[in-house]
Amino acid sequence: MDQGRSSLAFRLRPMPARLRISCAAKPETVDKVCEIVRKQLALPSDKPVTCDSKFAELGADSLDTVEIVMGLEEEFGITVEEDNAQNIATVLDAAELIDKLCSEKSA
Amino acid sequence: MAAAPTRIDVLQLYRSLMRVARQFCDYNIREYTKRRTIDAFRDNKILTNCSQLSAAFSDGKAQLEVAKRRALVYSLYAPKVKSIMDIKPS
Repeated sequence: MDQGRSSLAFRLRPMPARLRISCAAKPETVDKVCEIVRKQLALPSDKPVTCDSKFAELGADSLDTVEIVMGLEEEFGITVEEDNAQNIATVLDAAELIDKLCSEKSA
Repeated sequence: MAAAPTRIDVLQLYRSLMRVARQFCDYNIREYTKRRTIDAFRDNKILTNCSQLSAAFSDGKAQLEVAKRRALVYSLYAPKVKSIMDIKPS
């Protein structure tokens, strides 16, 4: 006979993630990216650089963006493909790509 | 007359030049290549004339070929002793 609700043996369904974390990359990666961006663009230390900072807003042109990506490649020992490099516009984009490439490298 | 290079072409050339700069073993040549690339691209950023753009772009491509050949040849004769600037302070 089916005991139904008396036993607690129901399967646990995974809940859909309604709350999305604003920064989906590792914080130490984001910190390193911010530091490299700051150095490349020679930003004053009181200017905030966060996950959502767009390079264009921080005063970077496309040449600066290429240099930043080069700096990130050297720092993390990765190689960014041409297509991926074109799509990097914010600090978060860069950090997520770095995390993905580093995990692929160590996998 | 060659067609004017697109923005993507120019950025790809920039990236290629920076990458080839990294391949040099000699610190001085590496730093010079990077510095010269950055300076040249920044100076020519304001160009709008089609023929000037094409000329600058083909000049850049020729320099890229030169740099690639040089990087290969230098790597065959790389000195064992690294420059003091390459040695990271421990």
